[in-house]
Amino acid sequence: MSSTVAEPGPAAGADEVPAPVRLLVDFAQALREEGLPVGSGDVLTYTRAMAVLRLSDVEDLYWGGRTTLVTRRDQIPVYDAVFRRFFLHEADRRPEPERTVLRAAARVVAELTVPQNDPGDEEQEGEQTPMGHVAANAEILRRKAFALCTPDELLAVRRMISAIRLAPPRRRSRRTASDRSGRRPDVRRTVREALRRQGEVGELRRLRHRRRTRRLVLVLDVSGSMSDYSRNLLHFAYSTRRATTRVEVFCFGTRLTRITRSLDRRRPDDALARAADAVFDWEGGTRIGDSLRAFVRDHARRGVCRGGVVVICSDGLDRGDPAVLADSMERLSRLCRTVVWLNPHKGDTVDFVPSTMGMMVAAPYVDLLLSGHDLRSLEDFAGILPTL
Amino acid sequence: MTRPTSVADLTERLRQERYLADRGLATAAYVALSLDRPLLLEGEVGVGKTEIAKVLATMLGRRLIRLQCYEGIDPAQALYEWDYARQLLQVRALSQHDLTDDGTVDRLYGPEFLVERPLLAAVRAGAGAVLLIDEVDRADDEFEAFLLEVLSDFQISIPEIGTVVAPSPPLVVLTSNRTRELHDALKRRCLYHWVGYPTPEREAEIILARAPEAADGLVAQVVASVTRRRDMELSKPPGVAESIDWVRTLQVLDEPELTADALRDSLGAVVKERDDLDLVLSRIDGVLDGG
Repeated sequence: MSSTVAEPGPAAGADEVPAPVRLLVDFAQALREEGLPVGSGDVLTYTRAMAVLRLSDVEDLYWGGRTTLVTRRDQIPVYDAVFRRFFLHEADRRPEPERTVLRAAARVVAELTVPQNDPGDEEQEGEQTPMGHVAANAEILRRKAFALCTPDELLAVRRMISAIRLAPPRRRSRRTASDRSGRRPDVRRTVREALRRQGEVGELRRLRHRRRTRRLVLVLDVSGSMSDYSRNLLHFAYSTRRATTRVEVFCFGTRLTRITRSLDRRRPDDALARAADAVFDWEGGTRIGDSLRAFVRDHARRGVCRGGVVVICSDGLDRGDPAVLADSMERLSRLCRTVVWLNPHKGDTVDFVPSTMGMMVAAPYVDLLLSGHDLRSLEDFAGILPTL
Repeated sequence: MTRPTSVADLTERLRQERYLADRGLATAAYVALSLDRPLLLEGEVGVGKTEIAKVLATMLGRRLIRLQCYEGIDPAQALYEWDYARQLLQVRALSQHDLTDDGTVDRLYGPEFLVERPLLAAVRAGAGAVLLIDEVDRADDEFEAFLLEVLSDFQISIPEIGTVVAPSPPLVVLTSNRTRELHDALKRRCLYHWVGYPTPEREAEIILARAPEAADGLVAQVVASVTRRRDMELSKPPGVAESIDWVRTLQVLDEPELTADALRDSLGAVVKERDDLDLVLSRIDGVLDGG
């Protein structure tokens, strides 16, 4: 019954744009300037919506736009602010939030400093490498702790990280595919073929369940003690996200940020810069327990990691209450299939005993503790992943 | 039934069906009806997303067609399927003469052998239906893309029969619990509304609309208690549906007001997780008198 819908404004074919339409288009433009992805099609819907609502009513104006121009919950505050400024002529109330801007993570190598008391020190042979000398030998780079790499070496390492392809474990899907050795009869195909042969049932066709990859969730600690390490893992996250879409990436320091969408850029530099921008507390303190609790509350219980593998990368230096961490880990372990913890402090030690409070509290709920402090250990992780 | 003529009219008619919609939801639904666009509702669990589709169907005198999404749902379960067993029986029963007749095969793919699934039913019913696509976030991406195609032009082509086109599109309501982000393309097709928790006053009204015989005092206590519970960081915060259930439970138990004992006995109606139960019970005094 689309005939009942009025066209926006009188005689829309004329050269002159009616004033109300102009106003709405300008408003949409203002939203665009604030970064809301408003397409021309959306503006058209908006004007058509306002044609059936009352333009003079501020509430209709507000809700008409919100229902047609906003597509995600997190856009609502932006919409509200622009609406207030544009139609109510109010100044923005919220000051710009203070944020630590990280210059594009991918290009940040120049200011990368090696921590003084790095955990992996003792067993690393590459300590003496003179600065600026690029060790082209990939085998050496593989075994060198990230924290000890020179900027140039790090660039090379990051390129190699990007080449690692993660294959999350798979599970049986509800969808089916034709398969000779399948167990379930494929009634559809069998009957179709029988109809072709005038009702003569021939070979019984069979189905098997397809396999699907499990979800993979990366939760990266980007606090002060872990930030260098996490920048490398961000590359890891990016290449993983490119390889399979069933990956979610979160960062935390004092609070949790979901950066999955920021990683969906075509160019790695853009993606990483965006992801880094999205994280507010890069290099702030660490509240693992609170962050994981936020993860469980806002994401895990909605099913983000149900039946999936959760990988937490952190050194376990928690400034919060250990009880909160223990509780969150316990819940998390019940909401996903496997919990993997990557702790760079583990290094190459085989019988690593967690020494930080956070790590000790979390340990009972961790299915697998790996190091991931150098390229080779990340490759090991990629190798183990499909079997989890 | 006629279409509502304004947002206020729609709100009033929803109220007569005992559904209290706020201004935002009513506007979204009104625009969806007027522009024939699908309406996507996101929000917490138990805030009435599914309910509004049902109520709209009753209100408009339309048939409610529900497609419940789940992981692994495929087009055959959403569109149509041939009744293979019947087809086979039919063929076996044919005589030699029938088999040489050209029309036989066509008849085998006739409407009587077609098993209609929700989407086909909705396209056929057109404006006579409200199509509820529930929990679309649970279906996988491929299905979402397929859904986008159907929602774009409301036509379904069945190779053996031809294309079925909706005379006029049905009202489509999609709901999502945000277990994952939906595709932008799908969101673009839809009008979007976020359904939040109602204000305490509003929630009391909603409960009274659904459980009219409840005492005002009891409802106020329940609402206050539920509101505090939502701030308690429970892993499953109670929705409006839980509030309504709770009031009804208390009525069945014949409790005129919410005492500590009444709360202990009826907590299962609101708090549905072990850890949450422990948390609430440990603070039971605070829960009751506002702490």
